[in-house]
Amino acid sequence: MTSLKRSLATDPHASNISSKVFVRSTKSGKVQKIVRELYLRQDIPCSSKLCSACLANVPADANGNETLFVLSEKPAGTKAFPTGHYLVPDTNALLNGMDLFEQSSGFYDVIILQTVLEELRNRSLPLYNRLLGLTKSEYKHYYVFFNDFRLETYVVREKNETINDRNDRAVRKAVSWYQEHLQQAVKSSGRSKNVPAVVMLSDDRANLQKANADRINACPLAEYVSGLDDADRLLDMINTSRQGHEARTNVSEQIYPEYITLSKMMTGIRAGTLHQGVFSVSPYNYLEGSVHVPAFEKSLLILGRESSNRAVSGDIVVVEVLPKPQWKTPSTKIVEEETLNKDENADVEEGEGEAVVTEQERRALQEQVKKTHGSNVEGRPQPTARIVGVIKRNWRQYVGHVDGSSSSMSQKNRRQQTVFLIPMDKRIPKIRLHTRQAEELLGKRVLVTIDSWDRDSRYPVGHFVRTLGEVESKGAETEALLLEYDVQYRPFAKGVLDCLPREGHDWKVPASLYDPGWRDRRDLRDLLICSIDPVGCQDIDDALHARPLPNGNFEVGVHIADVSHFVRPNNAMDAEASIRGTTVYLVDKRIDMLPTLLGTDLCSLKPYVERYAFSTIWELTPDADIVSSTFTKSVIRSREAFSYEQAQLRIDDPSQTDPLTQGMRALLSLSRKLHQKRMDAGALNLASPEVRVQSESETSDPIDVKTKELLATNSLVEEFMLLANISVARKIHTAFPQTALLRRHTAPPATNFEALATQLSVKRGLTLRTESSAALASSLDTCIDAREPFFNTLVRILATRCMMSAEYFCSGTHAYADFRHYGLASDIYTHFTSPIRRYADLVAHRQLAAAINYSPLDAGSLQSKSRLESVCKNINVRHRNAQLAGRASVEFYVGQALKGRVTEEEGFVMKVFENGCVVFVPRFGIEGLVRLREMRVDGGLEPEGEFDAEEYVLNVNLGGGKGRRIELFGKVRVRIRDEKDEGTGKRKVRVELVG
Amino acid sequence: MPLDTSIYALSHLRLDGRRWNELRRIHAQISTQAAADGSSYLEMGNTKVICTVSGPAEVRRGAAGGVQDEKAGIIVEVGIAGFSGIERKKRGRGDKRIAEMQATISSAFSSTLFTHLYPRSTITITISILSQDGSLLAACLNAATLALIDAGIPMSDYIVSCTSGAIPSYSRTDPDKELVDPLLDLNGQEELELPWLTVGTLGAGERISVCVMETKVRVERLESMLAVGVDGCKQVREILDAVVRRRGKRVLESVVR
Ligand SMILES: [Zn+2]
Repeated sequence: MTSLKRSLATDPHASNISSKVFVRSTKSGKVQKIVRELYLRQDIPCSSKLCSACLANVPADANGNETLFVLSEKPAGTKAFPTGHYLVPDTNALLNGMDLFEQSSGFYDVIILQTVLEELRNRSLPLYNRLLGLTKSEYKHYYVFFNDFRLETYVVREKNETINDRNDRAVRKAVSWYQEHLQQAVKSSGRSKNVPAVVMLSDDRANLQKANADRINACPLAEYVSGLDDADRLLDMINTSRQGHEARTNVSEQIYPEYITLSKMMTGIRAGTLHQGVFSVSPYNYLEGSVHVPAFEKSLLILGRESSNRAVSGDIVVVEVLPKPQWKTPSTKIVEEETLNKDENADVEEGEGEAVVTEQERRALQEQVKKTHGSNVEGRPQPTARIVGVIKRNWRQYVGHVDGSSSSMSQKNRRQQTVFLIPMDKRIPKIRLHTRQAEELLGKRVLVTIDSWDRDSRYPVGHFVRTLGEVESKGAETEALLLEYDVQYRPFAKGVLDCLPREGHDWKVPASLYDPGWRDRRDLRDLLICSIDPVGCQDIDDALHARPLPNGNFEVGVHIADVSHFVRPNNAMDAEASIRGTTVYLVDKRIDMLPTLLGTDLCSLKPYVERYAFSTIWELTPDADIVSSTFTKSVIRSREAFSYEQAQLRIDDPSQTDPLTQGMRALLSLSRKLHQKRMDAGALNLASPEVRVQSESETSDPIDVKTKELLATNSLVEEFMLLANISVARKIHTAFPQTALLRRHTAPPATNFEALATQLSVKRGLTLRTESSAALASSLDTCIDAREPFFNTLVRILATRCMMSAEYFCSGTHAYADFRHYGLASDIYTHFTSPIRRYADLVAHRQLAAAINYSPLDAGSLQSKSRLESVCKNINVRHRNAQLAGRASVEFYVGQALKGRVTEEEGFVMKVFENGCVVFVPRFGIEGLVRLREMRVDGGLEPEGEFDAEEYVLNVNLGGGKGRRIELFGKVRVRIRDEKDEGTGKRKVRVELVG
Repeated sequence: MPLDTSIYALSHLRLDGRRWNELRRIHAQISTQAAADGSSYLEMGNTKVICTVSGPAEVRRGAAGGVQDEKAGIIVEVGIAGFSGIERKKRGRGDKRIAEMQATISSAFSSTLFTHLYPRSTITITISILSQDGSLLAACLNAATLALIDAGIPMSDYIVSCTSGAIPSYSRTDPDKELVDPLLDLNGQEELELPWLTVGTLGAGERISVCVMETKVRVERLESMLAVGVDGCKQVREILDAVVRRRGKRVLESVVR
């Protein structure tokens, strides 16, 4: 038998082929060895405009598009590099200083090596995505050089060489290749030009030393930055935790327990001795966290700093359940970091006798352990746990303000100081910050990043990113809010705007029926279609029509803006919309998902003009039973854009007998029947104006505060939108059983309602039945207090909070039975009716278009389950954040409106603690925390409180024989005013009980 | 971990460093097993297969197999070694994918081999897959062609085969235009992420004798994928030609000497 050994020596290309071998372990614990080929080549350009040799073999894709060269001919330089330079950061430099690279004042002409890009992706996905964003920017001149594919710069890992060392060597090799290559290029061009220096930026000492030995330009990030103008501000933006770490090595000063290894965590989770979940912190008590894990019905409590072991709200953690004797009841006390650990000096070096738990915290915890041996649900001990490791940090950028008392501000010199930043989000611990501009930061809204949280530091360490402006100024607060909820609010990039139709506002539906735009479109211009929306609505997503059929039935159409005609899959506009996920509505601002040209003009189903639409048309019996449904792309001409009020007036006016009004009347009568059917099926009706702000409505805008009064026409539109969504959901699920984008709302587990049910039975003798949505709906109807009409609404608000949130999902990931939408009592549901402001609807449009064979599905995105899952994951987060941002915006504006004013309002007690309570104020839709210490009389001591956990009563002794009783669900008068906290300079809405 | 295929738009380079229209390294040998009537060994990148051909052999009377009397029957047996993939996996005889491959190969060759010359006999093609890294069917077809030539079975022309796929790409000048680059000769990782097809051509012309697609793709992309695949087949054909000629030369030399 002939030898089958690969005869590489005889192959001319063999030297260009290399194998990458690596080992990976799978989720199920198997180890796989993977061998991949690597073809090395010499036609990867340097992308410098100085070089003509590379220009000769620029790569082109199959469509003949060539990549453009991006590195400038005359790049900027510094004193150290007067001839200009190209920067080559290594992975550490990017990890420590990504914020610097995004500055517009410097950091142009940067070469990103493939080695670095891959390493960064493994270390931090958010930073990787930000870097990709930079490489796409036209003015920053970032070039990704695929050094691992280029023959001259490819580096084979040597025996006994760590991957890190190999990668560092690859970076140095690429830098030295660039240096030589550029010199060569300039020389061969014949002109005497300056050769730009190629400068490696690194924070790795060993790498820098070796670079010096290799005679290549290398510079620590901080040293490079100190040579720039504006160095003070820029230096603050470097993540210093890593350098600082080397200086401190004394092991005895560790104050937090060490994390166990990843493999130990995995083994523990598989064996069931450890559990994985998302860590979240109680909004009322920063020392109390919880982790929900599948193995326990109730969330596991994480009490105290030591147990939470450096986890930050949102992190994915692994916990170990503590023995039963250590189980505790959830706290009944308000504990705030701001008041407990006031006036700490941030400059006290970490480790110098800093305890994990301050004395004040210890006292707060001990008091809490004096648990009430009650018989009600809330009194029963809950399992507790401690965090033994973190699977994934979910750190983002945080907005806050510098604690003025945390450092000595008198120092006039520019020495670096350490200060505390108090995040706006109460669940986030304060962040230690090293800064050279402490004085300027006082009183400002500041954006920071957490860099690390080591065992020897009580608080996490972070670095400054930028200042948003004065605390309380409208601009800074709005931006802060958008940043806190991760809303993408920057103007649309040029690449996105380039995707808009060239005609701009002059775009029209083509007049000729033979135009490609008319292909497979039904001409519905003759139909009497109208839209009904809130007053002043500009982005009209939907329009309706109804007309009687000869057989006594009705033809009803829901026409939705044909956004998918304008937003093509996978282009820049689509990518941007998929990242934004949804339009965000703030009180005075709307952050659009799509450029306004589309949202408020070309897509918007404005009256009197022809528009493309995607229509769902049913034949309905007079009892609103569906006879048939059809879906078609269409062209419509809306006859009128009504507001809810106008539509209502027109329907109610008997003198109006034109066909359009008749159609609307038919719609109204059919919608009532549809509504009744849904109610009979057990749909939950949580709609009341106050709840609307609080809860999630499936069809209306997140903040529809103006809708004080619900008209029948509101319900009319809502019913037909629900019907369209359900019909479309069925259609796309049939066409794409594995990859339809649907929306579900899981039934809340019975334990979610336990506390509320007990409270209702103790305080009012009412029973809450929760076995099904129908039971819940009907028992909520019985929760009434004859003397207090608002009581029912209060109960509905509380019940809403017990529910799960609805979510988008890919149909292949769940069994059909789990598709159910609990709140709507429908077996299947999706979002189809608002493609202008929700990305989910746009995806549903594409899927429906493919389902009716109008257009094929794009290869990349919509037929891959994993791609669709990641789309769902993102829009779920965006949807939730948009709601939270909307709510926070209402709160901010209520606060602004109250500025300098004191009003008295009616409030209701929602929750009672042993040292305070939460009061809901219906007038403003806000809730306020009332603390015991605020009830003191004329600067006296904090009044004594006697807390009865079983009866949900807090008796306050105000001294002098006076006292007051705070009772759950009780009606109270409250005084609302805004107040400036002297310590923090922050303005807050303060709610106080009156007399 | 290497980057995923989404990086293509940035680099216009594939995961293994190739451009869109480049084949992987093909290495092939003929007459690797002296005992067999015909044999070959073929590598397309990290996909490695051994093929042996036995026959034509006359069928004993009464043997089952549904062999048509007037033509030779082609029996294809594909075996996938347990260690060939990333995950160690044993494939049973009843494996649907293997059965499909066997049927495809058998029907492809029954149209090009002069089977009518061997009535009441069978030609058995046995293929062992030693290593899988994409383009499996294509590699099997190519290896079988070589082994059949080695066995000296008359045929109208060679069948050569390769795969092609489609990958999203963007135009910088017109971002609204959704572009798709066809890709030639997919490796295992690309096959997992992209739509792709196997194309086999007969002879120097562009006659397509095999076209198998297991993934979904938009119709308008099919044309460019096919064109790239056919072009790839031409390149494969040149390489296999050289292998056959080299072998022929060596045989001649040994005879002359
Ligand atoms: Zn060059």
